[in-house]
Amino acid sequence: MNLLIPLMIIVPIICALFLNLLHKKDRTIKVIAILLALTLPLLPLLASYGVHFFGGYEPLTQNPTLSAGLPSLITGTALNTFHPAITYSFQEAQKLFLFILGLVAFLAILVSLFETRRPSGVYGFMMFMGVAAVSALILTDDIFNFYVFFEIAALATVGVVLVSQVKGNYETALKYMILGSIASPLLLLGIALLLGVTGNVNITDIIASLKSGVVDPQNPVILMACGLIVFGWLYGSGLPPFHTIKSAIYSKALPHGAALLQAFSVFTFIALGIIILRIFSYLPLSQMVIIGVSLLAMILGITMAILQTDLKRMIGFLAVGELGYIGLGLGLGTALGITAGLFQAVNEIVITAFLFIGFGTIYYQTGESDIRKLGGLMVQNSKVALLVLLAGFAMAGVPPLNAFQSKLLLIQASIQAGLPELGVIMILLSIVTFMTFMKAFHAVYMKPRPLDLEIKNDKIPRVTILALFIFLIVCLVLGLFPQVATDFLQGISTSLAGGIP
Amino acid sequence: MIMDTQLASLFTAGALIIIGIFAAVFLDNLIKKVIGLAFIGDGANLFLIAMGYKPGGIVYIYLPGMARDWFAQNAAYPLPFALVLTSIVIGASTMAVMLGIIMVLYKKHGSLRASKVLGE
Repeated sequence: MNLLIPLMIIVPIICALFLNLLHKKDRTIKVIAILLALTLPLLPLLASYGVHFFGGYEPLTQNPTLSAGLPSLITGTALNTFHPAITYSFQEAQKLFLFILGLVAFLAILVSLFETRRPSGVYGFMMFMGVAAVSALILTDDIFNFYVFFEIAALATVGVVLVSQVKGNYETALKYMILGSIASPLLLLGIALLLGVTGNVNITDIIASLKSGVVDPQNPVILMACGLIVFGWLYGSGLPPFHTIKSAIYSKALPHGAALLQAFSVFTFIALGIIILRIFSYLPLSQMVIIGVSLLAMILGITMAILQTDLKRMIGFLAVGELGYIGLGLGLGTALGITAGLFQAVNEIVITAFLFIGFGTIYYQTGESDIRKLGGLMVQNSKVALLVLLAGFAMAGVPPLNAFQSKLLLIQASIQAGLPELGVIMILLSIVTFMTFMKAFHAVYMKPRPLDLEIKNDKIPRVTILALFIFLIVCLVLGLFPQVATDFLQGISTSLAGGIP
Repeated sequence: MIMDTQLASLFTAGALIIIGIFAAVFLDNLIKKVIGLAFIGDGANLFLIAMGYKPGGIVYIYLPGMARDWFAQNAAYPLPFALVLTSIVIGASTMAVMLGIIMVLYKKHGSLRASKVLGE
């Protein structure tokens, strides 16, 4: 047992509770939030690989002391191998994902503390609670536990939006919750069906039941469970038909909040995507559905981004489009495809956070995110403009930045899988992404400044610029040395591509 | 007859979910929408709890004097009951947040009509 594994969830929860209690004690909030946020990327780096059993114990096969006193009705059956606990698994891929989540969370929290005059304990509570929930989504091997933290993550998302005090935030939050209250019970229903058929909620045990023939894998109830879980996946990650509400949610949060919320969405996307692949990959339909939905997300997300006049909404739609790339990698089902998809996920989280915080400086300076009302800000802060330009290049896949490597891998994987047309679509959409970004960049920084544009905050906090530099360094490191990330993803990709891990 | 109890639970769960989706999608009043959403959640919970039903089963509390093999064979499956308890708590907190948002929106717009408040 590795005690650092549960700490990755417990630390942000404790911090969240403290910040809530200390609401209005500005300096204390700042100190506690910075210190504990710093542990978020450090804990996964320090933790060694292993599993942790919450509220139970290891399978009886690994526990001879306990199994010795039990009746043969239990020890002589498949129950002997089942996991009678909520199991958290921490392997190479989880280490990378949790480090990236911790890094984005740390920087987003840091920026929020320095860009806000009076740091809100409630805002910090929501951010840390979301981080705890998403960390659990990444670690858990229990599908019901996944559902619980899926709901907590959704509530934290709504909380971040509500506390942001952006115009129209309550309306958008309610719409999101109404849709969520339809999608989440359907996800629960899918889990209930799996429980009904297999008698279990542990994912490894469900897979063992299907593989060993204890449960008929062709049972139509399993197909229905797959459909319901996929529906929950679409909602949780903001894939069509939920792409408009997801991008609206980003646009109603403050930029640092949006940077974190998009990370939540992408991690939910890959965590549930991996579960779907692990349990249902033997159903040919599941991979086709993943590819179909991903293509739709790419096309709808990126084309709708062109039409936006609100910066945050535009990045939100671009983020949805980028989700499609990840989904395509997972849907291809090959080891290379899955590695490329997961690598793209890591890159997208960093780049979108980079863009949100970069363009967030505009919002900080002017209080405006409508590109029609902005202009001429290159003169105001050319250093930040350059950083934002590089973030846009990274998203479009310009070498030597990180998304170039992951998109190249994705194109190679699609050719290897005999689907070169997917590669062509990816290239075309990358060009459209570039055009969309350049249009916004030109409108904000290069066109003449409107006469009525008022600069409310002249100086951008140094912490924000530091955060942007850190994001740039991560983009460059992953772009120049992609194996730094892909080495962590080989294990999970090979096991997923080889069938049931 | 005992089997019918489980089937009846499953059908009721299905009916609750369908009624709930209808209310959430087609009714214009925000409170009615929330009631519909509660129906969907309750339907899912009922479905989950029906999964743990065992015809002729006993409550899964191990009492002194019970033979272990007999208990293992006759006790109902406890997992769904534990899960549904968690699910009810989540549902309650989600509903509390939704109702809180609706209160704020009512003060702002003076109406509970979704078409007016949410611009549908």
